[in-house]
Amino acid sequence: MKFETGKRGLLINILSLIVFTLVWQILVILARNDIFNIPFIRLRDIPTPVETWYALVGSMFTRIYGPSFTYGIINHVYASLVRVIEGGIIAFIIGVPVGIGVGYSKFLGNLFNPIIEIIRNMPPMAWIPLSIFIFVSGGSIFIVFIGVVFPIILNTIQGVRSTDTRLIDAAKTLGASESMIVKKVVIPSALPSIMTGLRIGLGVGWMAIVAAEMVIKSPVGLGYFIWNMGDLGRYSEMVAGMIVIGVIGYIMNISILLLQRRFINWVD
Amino acid sequence: MKNLMKILFLIIVAIFVAGCLESKKTPQVSEPINLVKMSGQEMIQRLGTGEIAGFIMWEPYPAIAVTKGYGKNLIFSGKIWTDHPCCVVAYDDDWYKKTNNSDEILKRMALVQLKSVEYINNAKQSDSPDHEQLINYTMQFGGMTDQVAANLSLADVEFVYNTNVTATTTFIQRIQDFGIFDMTKWNMSGYKNSSDYANSLVTNNYVEWAVNNKDENSSKIALKEPVNIRYAYLVNDIHELPFYVGWQKGYYRDLGINIVIAEGAPFQNGAFEMQQGFKGNTVDVGSLGIPPVIIHRINSNDFSNNDTKVGVIAGMNNEGSVIVVANNVTSMKDLQGKTVGFPGQGTIQHVLFLMEADKEGLKVSY
Repeated sequence: MKFETGKRGLLINILSLIVFTLVWQILVILARNDIFNIPFIRLRDIPTPVETWYALVGSMFTRIYGPSFTYGIINHVYASLVRVIEGGIIAFIIGVPVGIGVGYSKFLGNLFNPIIEIIRNMPPMAWIPLSIFIFVSGGSIFIVFIGVVFPIILNTIQGVRSTDTRLIDAAKTLGASESMIVKKVVIPSALPSIMTGLRIGLGVGWMAIVAAEMVIKSPVGLGYFIWNMGDLGRYSEMVAGMIVIGVIGYIMNISILLLQRRFINWVD
Repeated sequence: MKNLMKILFLIIVAIFVAGCLESKKTPQVSEPINLVKMSGQEMIQRLGTGEIAGFIMWEPYPAIAVTKGYGKNLIFSGKIWTDHPCCVVAYDDDWYKKTNNSDEILKRMALVQLKSVEYINNAKQSDSPDHEQLINYTMQFGGMTDQVAANLSLADVEFVYNTNVTATTTFIQRIQDFGIFDMTKWNMSGYKNSSDYANSLVTNNYVEWAVNNKDENSSKIALKEPVNIRYAYLVNDIHELPFYVGWQKGYYRDLGINIVIAEGAPFQNGAFEMQQGFKGNTVDVGSLGIPPVIIHRINSNDFSNNDTKVGVIAGMNNEGSVIVVANNVTSMKDLQGKTVGFPGQGTIQHVLFLMEADKEGLKVSY
């Protein structure tokens, strides 16, 4: 499949967003006026894009009403991003060496594969109840770690195993030691794959953090914000928070893709 | 496309920097107390492990935490606001309109409330012959295994059946002051002010009827045709003990009302009861805190069909919430910069905590 690129592509992208927003607005308005309804869905209760926009602008920064100090979306985004980045860094530090070891050495592969295969099939959300009890703090970072580490490990393994054997053989012929082969041949060859793992992992981690913040206790974070706004029946703010999550996730993905293309350009 | 990516990248950096600046800036305003939502069970556990510095919650959780030695009572809610209303009995307006004899049913619901409250208030005395039975009811409804905690939890709850329009007005005013209402929705509601809203929300007629008929024989005033009422309540909330007593002692049945526990009940908090139960038309009558009623009749209501419209017919209790703190905390000021558990936004405990913080000039983040 080939995507349109350049100005035409951008135009179509923007158009699709406009059409989506319009359809959303029209559907809600129609439902509110009892002209069109989807059975079993309270379409009329969904805030319109216009209401959502006002809610987004209104709750962007910290507000103070008497004693009550309501954190702005900016604070929530920051708190969630910090958690994802911390979880991501820990996952990277642990995931890459494990991936290289398991991918390169048959012995380590056989040793760790069953464990990795079992644990990676437990979704990050399944760890939430346990982490509530075992972590005094930082439970949400752990949830992100679980989300990020397995895509990194698996992609690293794949990257290491797909290293061109001719290159390894050539290095051996030239008298390179095992550690030099790993450092000079295997890692550079696996790097694009590792970055892909990081990108996928952070995507999973970002989604997991929102769920984790809904359950694990912290006064700031986008997940917490959405949950709280829902509790108060402030649905426009809630939807605004959801959209912010989507946009940040998208920006994160694109940013890593950009970095990958900019700095790791030796492999197609 | 590359330019677009660069722009997006710049946006994320900008958010990060802005977030950094905001986060650094906020504590300087005055270090706020961090309210964090959690269940009552978790409050007790986390206070025990020292993860939180305190919590504000309905009984029996404060009594349990104190009995276990995890903390001490800092402020009883009666100190924050004497005789403040707490839980109430409310009906769903959709149910009210489509039921022919809804007024007759509600009169009898109010009468059960009156009888149960009188029973509890008598049985609360330790020399009352009913005292042991009341403690058993308290333990069953509150999910407790400890008699001492059950006794303690009853001590600071004032069970009442009458409603209080003036206090409700004050509550509405404070909720407005704290910026909790969705202002677009508030404007749609058409209420002129908090007193106008309180008068539309609370009705005393049913309690008046109950007072006038409290000595009548139940069989004489029972509904001719028994009706099923889908009833909702909050989980393990001692404030709603009058409902449990009325149900267990057969007061409802005697008056021709068959209680059916509503789908989803008992609810974790009043917000859920309003949003899922009353709004979703799965609850006919229910008990919950008055703030969720006040807030969600505005914020969660669809004003074209008033799906979240409810009316308050009777009280359940006044006071009965406590700020419990770790043993090394001596005042509200000590809680600054620390985490305090609460049952959720828009609950009575949330509003009370804000009121106390307001009195002491403290800030609360949530």
